[in-house]
Amino acid sequence: MQSRRHSPESEDHGIDLAPMLDFCVNLLIFFIITTSFIKEAGVTVFKPEAVTAEHEDSGNLLIAIRENGDIWMDRQRIELRDVRTRMERLHIERPDDTVVIIADKASKAGIVAQVMDEVRLSGIKVVSIAADPGA
Amino acid sequence: MRKRRDQGGGGHESSTGIDLAPMLDFVINLLIFFIITAVFVKESGLQVNRPTSFETPPDEQDAKSIQIQILDNGEIWVDNRAVDVRAVRANVERMSAVNPDSGVLIIAQEKAPTGVLVDVVDQVHLGGIYNITFSTTQ
Repeated sequence: MQSRRHSPESEDHGIDLAPMLDFCVNLLIFFIITTSFIKEAGVTVFKPEAVTAEHEDSGNLLIAIRENGDIWMDRQRIELRDVRTRMERLHIERPDDTVVIIADKASKAGIVAQVMDEVRLSGIKVVSIAADPGA
Repeated sequence: MRKRRDQGGGGHESSTGIDLAPMLDFVINLLIFFIITAVFVKESGLQVNRPTSFETPPDEQDAKSIQIQILDNGEIWVDNRAVDVRAVRANVERMSAVNPDSGVLIIAQEKAPTGVLVDVVDQVHLGGIYNITFSTTQ
């Protein structure tokens, strides 16, 4: 501040930062809001393909089921019996959330059904099975 | 710019403002951090129903619903016949022409691969039925 007072001329040559700052803050808020809503599964699975798969815009709780039957959620492996309590907690935080189960092509239908049941018992009624569109 | 210079007296007005530069640096750093860590997950999927446990067992639910069975080895059975996955659509279309309101019940055995299940759901969707219930048997 002190040095600037001595040279007012240099201030005149500067760019007006206020609009850029506004823009940056808006972008920042956007990213903060969008990032925190998605619970990634944190594991790679080979998804099945389906022509009629629809985009699940609100599907933000992702549960992955691996080929060997492991259940992954929020970047960690969890047990089947933990699915319900975790889902209940998340459902209370944001009741509009929906679940997408990302099951490996070779995973067993029985495990998918059990996970779907646990999710439904937690109170989340919209559950879908992930598939890559356009096979 | 010109206006400010003309005010004379030199720089008094500008020196009273807050210096935004450090704040801007900080905000941009935060912004970059969030852009990098952002995950843009757009999942696409198929929606299927599950029969609630309090309802009657699915096989007796209603006789009209089209039943498709998936065995452990991935075989698909419709109407007591083993069919290819590509024939599911034709079967569903034929049966929904007879009973237009009927839904589809997919009964998969525990160890049936999910890939086959999704293929069948896809074919049923192509056949024009979106009311699909999925249940499993031992």
